[in-house]
Amino acid sequence: MKYFKAFIVCIALLGWFSNVASAARIEISAPGEKTIPLAITRLLPMPGTTVSSAVAVEFQQVLLSDLELSGLFDMVDSAAFLSDANKLGLRSNEIDFYQWRLLATDALIKGGYKIDSGRLTVELRLFDVVTRRLLSGRRYVGKLTDVRKIAHKFADQIMLSLTGEKGPFATKIAYISKRTGRKELNLMDVDGHNSVRLTAHKTIVLNPDFSPTRKELIFTSYRNGNPDLFRKEIYTGRESRLSLKQGLNIGGRYSPDGREVALTLSKDKNSELYLIGTDGTIHQRLTNHWGIDVDPSWNPEGDKIAFVSDRRGNPHIFIVDVHSLEVTRLTHAGKYNATPAWSPKGDKIVYARLDKGVFNLFTIRPDGSEDRQITFGAGNKEHPRWSPDGRFLVYSNDLNKDKSIWIMRADGTGGRRISAATARDSHPAWSGRW
Amino acid sequence: MQKLTITGLALLFALSLLVSGCAKTPAQEDPMPEEKTIIEEVKQQEPTVVIDQAITEEEAAAQALAAEKAAANGLVRIQFDFDQYVLTDSAKGILVSNAALLTAAPAVQVLIEGHCDERGSDEYNLALGEKRALATKSYLVSLGVAADRMSVISYGEEMPIDAASNEAAWSLNRRANFKVKR
Amino acid sequence: MESSRKQRWQQLISMIEPGFKRMLVISVALHLLVPILYYTPLFPQAKIDKPPVYRVNLVNKIVENPQAGRPEAVVVKKKPKVKPKPKVKPKVKVKPKPKLKPKVKPKVKPKPVPVKAKPVVSQVQKNKQLSTIEKMKAKLEREAAAEAQKQKIEALKAALAADSKIDSPVKDAPVGMLDGTGDEAGISAIAAVREFIQQQWSFSEYQAFGSPEAEVKLVYNQVGTMLHYTFVTKSGNDQFDKSLIRAIVKSKQLPQDLPRAMDFEIIFNLKDMLDQ
Repeated sequence: MKYFKAFIVCIALLGWFSNVASAARIEISAPGEKTIPLAITRLLPMPGTTVSSAVAVEFQQVLLSDLELSGLFDMVDSAAFLSDANKLGLRSNEIDFYQWRLLATDALIKGGYKIDSGRLTVELRLFDVVTRRLLSGRRYVGKLTDVRKIAHKFADQIMLSLTGEKGPFATKIAYISKRTGRKELNLMDVDGHNSVRLTAHKTIVLNPDFSPTRKELIFTSYRNGNPDLFRKEIYTGRESRLSLKQGLNIGGRYSPDGREVALTLSKDKNSELYLIGTDGTIHQRLTNHWGIDVDPSWNPEGDKIAFVSDRRGNPHIFIVDVHSLEVTRLTHAGKYNATPAWSPKGDKIVYARLDKGVFNLFTIRPDGSEDRQITFGAGNKEHPRWSPDGRFLVYSNDLNKDKSIWIMRADGTGGRRISAATARDSHPAWSGRW
Repeated sequence: MQKLTITGLALLFALSLLVSGCAKTPAQEDPMPEEKTIIEEVKQQEPTVVIDQAITEEEAAAQALAAEKAAANGLVRIQFDFDQYVLTDSAKGILVSNAALLTAAPAVQVLIEGHCDERGSDEYNLALGEKRALATKSYLVSLGVAADRMSVISYGEEMPIDAASNEAAWSLNRRANFKVKR
Repeated sequence: MESSRKQRWQQLISMIEPGFKRMLVISVALHLLVPILYYTPLFPQAKIDKPPVYRVNLVNKIVENPQAGRPEAVVVKKKPKVKPKPKVKPKVKVKPKPKLKPKVKPKVKPKPVPVKAKPVVSQVQKNKQLSTIEKMKAKLEREAAAEAQKQKIEALKAALAADSKIDSPVKDAPVGMLDGTGDEAGISAIAAVREFIQQQWSFSEYQAFGSPEAEVKLVYNQVGTMLHYTFVTKSGNDQFDKSLIRAIVKSKQLPQDLPRAMDFEIIFNLKDMLDQ
């Protein structure tokens, strides 16, 4: 009888509730526009400056290129800009937002520059046109030659305020270039500008990697007749040999905490993965198999390493647990998979697969699921490496035989060449945030 | 609700099938390490003609020098198949004559360089090149050349003979060469 | 006979378990209880609102006059309006929509008659070919005639439908709305609002982290002006929530009146963007 009562009450309650809902419920499961309309106005001279349109033009180019790569925006054509674009007003109450709404833009960048006795000051603002609010305001002070750097920094800032995470545009890319006829280590901006050569070994320099904690690179060089692992401080130029075991000392990769380096040594007549300390002493042997084991890449937690091995016949990607030394196979498809790079977000591993004579890039989850191709067509795409925020990839591409460094979004879209087409550039590595 | 559960169960079932399917993907068998057929050269007995000659030290030195020169110029490089470091029969034949040159010039130190063609990943090719050099060295050791006279280095795909991208260039580049150092 | 029947009955009864009768009575009573309860005030007769059916065009955006240029549409327009609605308020500024996509006209594409270029070998074959071509032509003509007939019927039907006073919830829905009083069928008010707000919402997949979801309540009056909005739940993703605020501010004024003052509870998420 008790249950019966409860049953009646339940039924009554149900009936009551079904009467209440009156508002129409709608689910919108995707935005109508998948880009943010953005208007970038030109930098305007601020009071008390020497006028230099070159500064404004260069700034605009750099910022536009960075923001286009981000894939976030749909740029409003500057030809349609109305009178407010030519007013310096940098405060939200000085801006005629109505004009910008007419152009159907959601976001607006305004800025001014001041050149005063060789010093450059740039004031920048990012506004939300719809809610008429300031999203980000920055002032940058530097030398006249710092225009590009300032533009990259502001692009990072825009990414921060619109995605919650800073962009990687103010970072550096190290790469191997044959510009001098020999493979040497080089360094450049993310857009390919300001490239400088760091080594003059005049032999073969290979496969650099940035220290996550110091402004320092490791790479392999044949300078002393054997492929040894070198370490180089970028600004002092100081250089030393970190690992000089008989045989290969290649593919060095700093652990995420910067305290160890994973690399391939062949001191025992077979290539195996080892962990060495930053003083060069061997801490641990990671693999033990007669096959070839190369190309280590750490996961962001620093407890697993993806690598290439031919222990099952063809080169495939495997993962070794640094603590238990347990090896699991990651890729099964394809006949030749190489150069894995683990995303700093941890969710994906990018690698190159040789198929029908061409290398293309693929991504796969660390559990082996979602193995998908992200680049297509002609040109060998190799040596993929992640940006520090995991949003972009840098890689080498020999499309039209012009082996050079390319950059694209992590989903494979927006690919563009950033280094000169003639220098046979390869092996890029992306720095952390400096 | 029930429908949902049923679909859920069905999904779970399908998923478990998938997972077990994955696990059972036939792993490729390890290739058997290829047995090396060692060619035994049966040297024919020749009548030993004893020639008695007076030798000066200069002459001996000159002879040694000649042998070294012969070794330096006569060591022939060997070729490999794609993604292989197993010696081919023709490579073994070349190595036999190379070994003879090396035994004739015992003072000569030799550096064996392993090379690959441009296809494949650079790191992998460095390791492969080393395997080629090591395979070459161990075969020469088996032919009686002292191991401490030979050192190996791998250049991977970094030093091609022919930089072109065609089968002829590739097969030329997949090699082990010999450099004599004194 | 009589006694034997009784006997048999007794026998039957004795076979039944002792509690059976009581159970039977209770069972019948309980069954009866359900309909009785159903018709008492104890059990309020909840009108089960049919879930709204959204007919959303997945290919084309809503357009103002999708059938412009169709012969029957012109005919319909000539008809006197049944309910000329006095304009209550001046039209709020409407941005000219650049995307006027006329619906694809139904056309009869005559199939190209396959003509064989082969040199004819014999007269018999030629005759045969000619006759097949004739047959094909006849078939095509028949098909065309049937199609024309169909079109005429359709046009008449459309005219009839326009005449028969559809009581639309959207009084001056632009032409092209399923339940508009306009020339043709259109989509429902809720779907139109959904589509409008969705178009105002811009968010990039490169901004997305995880699977954010937020629920917003929007209150509109009858002329389509937003009175106020509240976040029922926020997503916790600042950029996502800000993009929603932008969309809401842009949706302050709907491009058309609503059938009545309406509340919308809108759930925003990225299910359809991230799943691809």
